[in-house]
Amino acid sequence: MNFFRQLFAILRVNLAGLPQRLGSGLTILVGVTSAVGVLVSMLAMGTGAREQQLAEVRPDRVVLSTTGSRMGQGNISEGEVAVILGLPGIRKDARGEPIVAMQSVVPIQGRRQGTGLRIYFPLVGISPNMPELAPETHFTAGRMFQPGLQELVVSNPCRRQFMGFEMGDRRPLHGSDWTVVGQFDRGASQQCIVYADVKTLMTVLKRTTYSNVTVMLNSPADYEVLRDAVSADPTLQLEVQREADAIEEGFKPLNGLLNFISFFVGTIMALGATLGAVNSLYAIVDSRRREMATLRAIGFSGSAVVVSVLIESMLLALPGAVLGTLAAWLLFNGLSASPFGFSFQLSVTASLAVIGVEWALVMGLLGGLLPAMRAARMPITTALRAT
Amino acid sequence: MKYLPLIWPGIWRKPGRTVLIFLQVSVAFALFGVLQGMKTGVEHVVGQTRADLLLVHGNLSLIDPLPLGQLQQIESIPGVKVVVPVELFLGTYQNPKDKIGIVAVRPDEGWQNAFTFQIQPQYAAAFKANRTGTLVRTGLAAKYGWKIGDRIPLKTTAARTDGSTVWTFDIVGLYDDDDVGGGNNVILINFDYYDQGRLVGKSTVSHYNVALNDPRQAVSVADAIDRRFANSSNETRTESLRELAQSQMQSIGDLNFLIRAIVAAVLVALLFATATMMMQSIRERTPELAVLKTLGFTDRAVFIFILAESAVVCVAAALFGLLLAWLAFPFAARFVPGLSMPWEVVAVGLGCAAMVALVSAAVPALQAGRLNIVNALASR
Repeated sequence: MNFFRQLFAILRVNLAGLPQRLGSGLTILVGVTSAVGVLVSMLAMGTGAREQQLAEVRPDRVVLSTTGSRMGQGNISEGEVAVILGLPGIRKDARGEPIVAMQSVVPIQGRRQGTGLRIYFPLVGISPNMPELAPETHFTAGRMFQPGLQELVVSNPCRRQFMGFEMGDRRPLHGSDWTVVGQFDRGASQQCIVYADVKTLMTVLKRTTYSNVTVMLNSPADYEVLRDAVSADPTLQLEVQREADAIEEGFKPLNGLLNFISFFVGTIMALGATLGAVNSLYAIVDSRRREMATLRAIGFSGSAVVVSVLIESMLLALPGAVLGTLAAWLLFNGLSASPFGFSFQLSVTASLAVIGVEWALVMGLLGGLLPAMRAARMPITTALRAT
Repeated sequence: MKYLPLIWPGIWRKPGRTVLIFLQVSVAFALFGVLQGMKTGVEHVVGQTRADLLLVHGNLSLIDPLPLGQLQQIESIPGVKVVVPVELFLGTYQNPKDKIGIVAVRPDEGWQNAFTFQIQPQYAAAFKANRTGTLVRTGLAAKYGWKIGDRIPLKTTAARTDGSTVWTFDIVGLYDDDDVGGGNNVILINFDYYDQGRLVGKSTVSHYNVALNDPRQAVSVADAIDRRFANSSNETRTESLRELAQSQMQSIGDLNFLIRAIVAAVLVALLFATATMMMQSIRERTPELAVLKTLGFTDRAVFIFILAESAVVCVAAALFGLLLAWLAFPFAARFVPGLSMPWEVVAVGLGCAAMVALVSAAVPALQAGRLNIVNALASR
């Protein structure tokens, strides 16, 4: 109890004296602000990318792909599809057909709206039962493509990001024209998705195998049933993944890279801010030598002095975290980025703010450690004589 | 120079403080060096990729197959020296998570002109003579402990006529790749062996590599190739290796804004740190500076001493930081290929450091210069 009374007394004196040491206090504040600001805005890329990737994931959708293949690059034959149609756990549509959609993905090139830059994005050939597989699809104009015709349906973000996706636009694809006949929204997803009839697309591309197959389950719990059935069948060389896992695996290299860069840059910035804090706190402690010595002389304990310096340092760092996060939010939240060809919006979330605060506290704590020790170890008699 | 003895003790008056500020500036410029090194490194790499090596791929995408029948037609276009069919697929060896890129090429006369590979002549000869032979990238061979003469079974994404997806190759040599984007986990195999053995997609290629008689004709030959196949069912798009690298790097372009923002944040934080340090230092040294002036040093000399002190610390620290960044490049190269630190980056870095030093020391130096001797000595 006595310790806390001492602690609060010292803290009050410390904080009351802060305005006189504005420079040192500001150095800590600015250092921590920029470190946290940079860390949070870098991490916002990672969160934004993940939010975008997992925007419309359903637990009852499952992706089947060739074992060992990368996302969208599998080889699933017609024979395997026939077996998949008979697997247990798959939901049936109104006509009693299992909801199984074959996909064939081909990267095609488009041009950016505005800049005209060439960029590759996937054209997905899919079975015509797509709306049953993805009930969140909501047509805003036109209709679904007709099986057998060279028609495209596109998500609305395509229209905003790329040229040539208005209703009735014709896109040359492999020597013939494909017409845009429908536009749709898919929940909150900002991804550009272009669909065509899978059979027609594969005929044109002379492909014989599907990239992957997506199925709808009766319930999320049927995942195990389906997975066991697939592994029990020796003719199927397939990997069964929940939609979220499949997407996550597909984006692992991108997310890993974004996270690595964020923490790499953040750590260096934090290191710099901590060094700055050490320097400023040394200055603050030095300028208060007499005060501290007086307190010690009248019976305040050394540990109370140490803790008071640490708390002061963290209190100085804390507004830095708030300001840094705020700056990141004001400057970058909602900013569209597309590093490495994947478009998303930066997203500054509450959990990032928490990370910012944690890092700020650690910077304050580490920065205050050495100066606090010095403050407590100062020989009282010499310190009292100091000017 | 003769004033150095006056500046030097000023710097080391409080060694702890100087070392801390030195480290802080070093850390900031190490970050600056890595970020700028990434950017210029990427630009440098793009500039170094070969503009005289053409890649002919489908107009739709990079992976859209083209028929092998186009080979002779491309060869007949004037200016073309060598055309090599290339097929790409993926395999794994033991560890199913570790992908190996398999590049099938036809090792006809002069085929190496159309690639950036470095292959010793005896390996190239063995590769040509052995249908099931493979050339392995040096780093990959070391990774799996492969030696010349080994037979390696790879589980691949391509099915063979018997339905199996396992292909076995004989290692006949090693190779290296000049192109930084080339990837480390890559082996070369014979196109004909692969094409005859595969179940689907026979007689198609991923793309053609084309070497030219005259590198200056790259653009006109590329146009001629695309015109040749315009309005056919397999339209082509011909790009030089450099154009391809450029379009890949464009996507990173968005990051430039972020890099600039980070560098700005770093510099602002530094400005504050050095400015407070200098102010503190001047306040503590007021009597000493007054003594200097009493001895006859002009206001201007004192002003310059203070600026010089701050500049020496900042520039030396920046140099040290850039050195650290340079030392970190081999590590960072695992994530971003081709990092480099040209002289421009060093110059810009040192310039920034000097600017931070001068701006942050300007106010304290001005105060020191204007110091009134009588007051300063009296305050003692």
